[in-house]
Amino acid sequence: MSAEGFRTLADQLRGWPDARLSRLLLARPDLATPAPHDSGQLASRAATRSSLLRALDQLTRLELCVLDALVVAGQTTRAELVSIVHADPAATTAALEHLTDLALVWDSPTGPRALSGVAEGLAGGPGAGVSGLRTRSPEPMAPEVVARRLDELSAPARTLLEHVLDHGGEATTGTSRHTVSPAEAATPAEELLARRLLVPRGGGSVVLPGEVGLVLRGGRTTTDRVDDVPTLPTVERSAAMVDKVAAGAAFEAVRRVELLLDHWGTHPPAALRSGGLAVRDLRAASVLLHVDEATTALLIETASAAGLLATGHAAEGEAAWLPTDELDRWSTRSPAERWWVLARAWWDSNRLPGLVGTRDPAGKTWNALAPELSGVHQVETRQLSLRELAALPPGEVLASGTGLPALVARVAWLRPRRPRTRADQVAWALNEAEALGVGGLGGLASYARALVGGDETAAGVSALDALVPAPVDHVLLQADLTAVAPGPLESTLAKRLQLLADVESRGGATVYRFSSSSVRRALDTGWSALEVHDFISSVSRTPVPQPLTYLVDDTARTFGSIRVGHAEAFLRADDEAALSEVLHHPRASSLGLRRIAPTVLVSTTPLDVLLPRLRELGAAPVVEGPDGTVRVARPDQLRARTPRDRRPEGLRAARGSATVSAVVTAVRAGDRAASSRPTGAGQALSPSGSLAALREAVETGASVLIGYVDNHGTRSERVVDPRSVEGGTLTAHDHRADDLRSFAVHRITSVAPVAP
Amino acid sequence: MTDGPLIVQSDKTLLLEIDHERAQDCRKAIAPFAELERSPEHIHTYRLTPLGLWNARAAGHDAEQVVDTLLEFSRYAVPHSLLVDVAETMARYGRLRLEKHPTHGLTLATTDRPVLEEVLRAKKVQGMLGERVDPDTVVVHASERGNLKQALLKIGWPAEDYAGYVDGEAHPIDLDESDWTLRDYQREAAESFWHGGSGVVVLPCGAGKTLVGASAMAHAKATTLILVTNTVSARQWKDELVRRTSLTEDEIGEYSGAVKEVRPVTIATYQVLTMKRKGVYPHLELLDARDWGLIVYDEVHLLPAPIFRMTADLQARRRIGLTATLVREDGREGDVFSLIGPKRYDAPWKDIESQGWIAPADCVEVRVTLPDDERLVYATSEPEERYRIASCTHRKTEVVRDLVERHADQPTLVIGQYIEQLDELGAALEAPVIKGETSVKERQRLFEAFRSGEERLLVVSKVANFSIDLPDAEVAIQVSGSFGSRQEEAQRLGRLLRPGHDGKVARFYTVVSRDTVDAEFAQNRQRFLAEQGYAYRIVDAEDIPDLTT
Repeated sequence: MSAEGFRTLADQLRGWPDARLSRLLLARPDLATPAPHDSGQLASRAATRSSLLRALDQLTRLELCVLDALVVAGQTTRAELVSIVHADPAATTAALEHLTDLALVWDSPTGPRALSGVAEGLAGGPGAGVSGLRTRSPEPMAPEVVARRLDELSAPARTLLEHVLDHGGEATTGTSRHTVSPAEAATPAEELLARRLLVPRGGGSVVLPGEVGLVLRGGRTTTDRVDDVPTLPTVERSAAMVDKVAAGAAFEAVRRVELLLDHWGTHPPAALRSGGLAVRDLRAASVLLHVDEATTALLIETASAAGLLATGHAAEGEAAWLPTDELDRWSTRSPAERWWVLARAWWDSNRLPGLVGTRDPAGKTWNALAPELSGVHQVETRQLSLRELAALPPGEVLASGTGLPALVARVAWLRPRRPRTRADQVAWALNEAEALGVGGLGGLASYARALVGGDETAAGVSALDALVPAPVDHVLLQADLTAVAPGPLESTLAKRLQLLADVESRGGATVYRFSSSSVRRALDTGWSALEVHDFISSVSRTPVPQPLTYLVDDTARTFGSIRVGHAEAFLRADDEAALSEVLHHPRASSLGLRRIAPTVLVSTTPLDVLLPRLRELGAAPVVEGPDGTVRVARPDQLRARTPRDRRPEGLRAARGSATVSAVVTAVRAGDRAASSRPTGAGQALSPSGSLAALREAVETGASVLIGYVDNHGTRSERVVDPRSVEGGTLTAHDHRADDLRSFAVHRITSVAPVAP
Repeated sequence: MTDGPLIVQSDKTLLLEIDHERAQDCRKAIAPFAELERSPEHIHTYRLTPLGLWNARAAGHDAEQVVDTLLEFSRYAVPHSLLVDVAETMARYGRLRLEKHPTHGLTLATTDRPVLEEVLRAKKVQGMLGERVDPDTVVVHASERGNLKQALLKIGWPAEDYAGYVDGEAHPIDLDESDWTLRDYQREAAESFWHGGSGVVVLPCGAGKTLVGASAMAHAKATTLILVTNTVSARQWKDELVRRTSLTEDEIGEYSGAVKEVRPVTIATYQVLTMKRKGVYPHLELLDARDWGLIVYDEVHLLPAPIFRMTADLQARRRIGLTATLVREDGREGDVFSLIGPKRYDAPWKDIESQGWIAPADCVEVRVTLPDDERLVYATSEPEERYRIASCTHRKTEVVRDLVERHADQPTLVIGQYIEQLDELGAALEAPVIKGETSVKERQRLFEAFRSGEERLLVVSKVANFSIDLPDAEVAIQVSGSFGSRQEEAQRLGRLLRPGHDGKVARFYTVVSRDTVDAEFAQNRQRFLAEQGYAYRIVDAEDIPDLTT
């Protein structure tokens, strides 16, 4: 920055070193895309309204106040600016420097100057750094003059002035005269106008000049200090404790995502037409995972953000939420790496799972995974909140009761121009962080600092691996037929055990319960009792309880004692020899006969084929009904049912005549219409009309003149003898070609009779 | 990750590995707030319930202590949602207080106005509350003190009762410790009850609950109503009180089916109080017969439902509940909590163990196979007949005879449900049969003979064993039975079977028919017994000769 200032912002930018310029482009990335041609273009782009607003949104309350003061002061010097901002001078200077860095303020020869669009862009109340003062008059009264004139005021006039100041600095004066001398002033308003403490602006309104406001507020733009950053109340908690709690949540979150997605892989929930997840499915997931619906929604949204869940098509082809193939890759990683994937996805996600279950302004319930369930500011608020947590001194965490409101206030100070839902968003950020194990007990987990620090790699999270349960390779078997795995089981082991026993309780440990049905399930998939015994005793650290051994043997004993198969027909005879004879007949091989008991054969041939074939073989079978009785059959004589009309004679006759008369009426009406229509050859007909005319010609064998549009769009008229009309095509003898031709009916524009 | 003995599951169960070196410490630390659910051989399962947490609150533990205990002993990180839930649940207790207001009488006051607002709008408490005295206080109709507490518990805001008690009619009662002394834990139990006002003392069977009751009476020094389960128990109470306190036989009345005496200390059975004639309880007036200063409930876990309703009207009197377990089959633990009071004392686990609560008996299930003809009958019978057919098979008689012979020198009871089966067994075993129709006198005689060793073998029906305190035995053989309350069954089992004098393990045989509903029932019980820590085995009838005795 040069001491004498620059002519324009562009000049100033031109004078900046590269490092400072690149800092600007980093802070306001929208200026860099597309790359501006020169500093002039860069400067003009920096002054566009949309870019300005975006930059203003990134300012803290102090910075906004400094900017506001600059606007109020108009033409001013650095020293004067520092004096009218109600804050520590060093802080004001630093803020001004930052504003200059952002190219919102530039140094003119007369002093610092805000970009012209800034005044318009500053909006909101004192919370957003807006003092509500007007810009000073071009030639402002000196503060001493203002102070003297204020002293002269009557009490009502003073009150009126303060009222105007607190309500936007603008008022309408009604009947007050605008040009009076102090001596003539009759009303408080006239008193003010006469002393130029209110200045007429035309249209009957008056404004309070900035310099007056400044004096009223004691020479500053605000009466309150603007550099008081809200402090965060903290309590002491050892970092190890925070890590432990957070790691617990992290492990649970990973476990639950995996459990849910595994479940959805076989029982996918339908995707709503609007794209979300049905409330019922969310509730079912919440029951499955043993967590409330809010946390369930968070886990689902996070899985989706991490690319582990997406819409696809279920077995029957309907749209459904399905785990992606990424899940298979994800599942093979260590718990810490899996957590990292989820946490990273959450960190950058603009989704608002906190809204799930509540209603939108239209009264519609927000569904999880609904496409519109996202907010543009969510990412920023989340990251700001967690950075604040990360900045807490080591060994201290946010106090449980007062911490949240204070954090909301702090975030409000840091980004005053953000929307009113901020309090919710900060609370969500903290809740979500705790539910996902990014933090716990109001503090940030040490292994999550890499995340907050913007680290892209999972290098920092290996610390988490030490905090989550290590996989175990054994279970403890108990006489009440449970097996407890005192930690997460190795995955192959877990899969096998899940086949053999039902899961009863999940968490750090897993409790399995053996029952005859669960053991049977394993036998169904081809295990033998011996394999079951071997497996059980190999995974158990303790002796296998006798009741469990007994259960397996007992289940295996009855397993398969009843055999089921498929047959089309059976053959039964008390005479075993007769069945043997059929079975071994040389021509019986094609019948698919099999002996399943001395007196029973089954066949894969259906009964109606089997019966004549058996007779051919010389057997004399009879058919047995489902109830065991013999069915004898003689060749069927076919008969149709006599059609019967049940309606009474009179009614039938009446209906008949009514139908006829209606038809007649219609026909007559049609005739009248036809006769009143002007006739002429080549007249365009409706499609049904031309069809009718053609059909009529087919019937009568008459020649007709048709108008026809061919492939090239050329219209021609031909005389043809229609032969048939079918499938939208007219087949007719064309007089001109003297041959049979086909015409597309829809191209026939007119049909007219040709006089014979 | 620490190497703790406890694994905290997200479904609020706590798994305690009992072979762990710190298991004992952990067990002691979690006992105040977690309910023991299952105790098989390696891993015990505890459960965190709102009631358990509120009991802990009432006993002066706070959420931070609970959370710290969980974190300290947990092997893995504790699920965050569970910690939040613990804190929230515990914070619910004590937001509302029942108090005695100098001018308005009984009032419900709150430290948290929104809670009061929520409660005032709850349907369940409609009609129990009167006018609002100030924003934080509302008048309670005096008659609704108990009902209100019940209702508040149901809507999740249990109230602490600070409204105090009437002193009742004074009556001098002292412990007579000339030839015995109160054990430390008994003294502690009585004192913590007295300081708490009302509540439940949990002590294992045989730990001297009667003496805790007597000690509480000595604290109260007022007329006392004692409610017990049956007449036998009433007599035991009376004997014990005469022996251990300054009370004489004349001061103690018995109010039962047979005798109706109302004395300064009156012992009544639940049965007589809950007897209903023409739609009314004729003996309910006993509760108002005197200005009782103390009411003692024996075996709270068996308290019948009508007693709860009566107790709701007795909230101004001090109440002490005595029990071995807070778990109720009917799930009315909440009513015990709100009407009698929170848990005031819990015996240290080590004591319970030394009382023989764990593994007192070796349970053997003997499976018999129905002969083909009976199997056919079973398969084609109506569902309601099936259990009887399955459990009365003749094969069982043969097996029972085998078993009885194996334990010829030990006192043995054969227990069954069906009279015809019992008669058949009696004949086959040449043993006396006690059933519903057996006279009390005959019953007493046979039991006495059994106790003295004159009779080695009795066949008893379920009916018989419900009504009368069965004598101890070393071997019990159950051939049929409807398994009513599993808790009761285990307790009876523990009481019934004591190890033999020569250190022989007591045996409990159950003979069941394979592949029938009988076996299905047995499976439930097998699970329950195993969960209670009983050793359990299943053998086929053919393998009995291989059993070691």
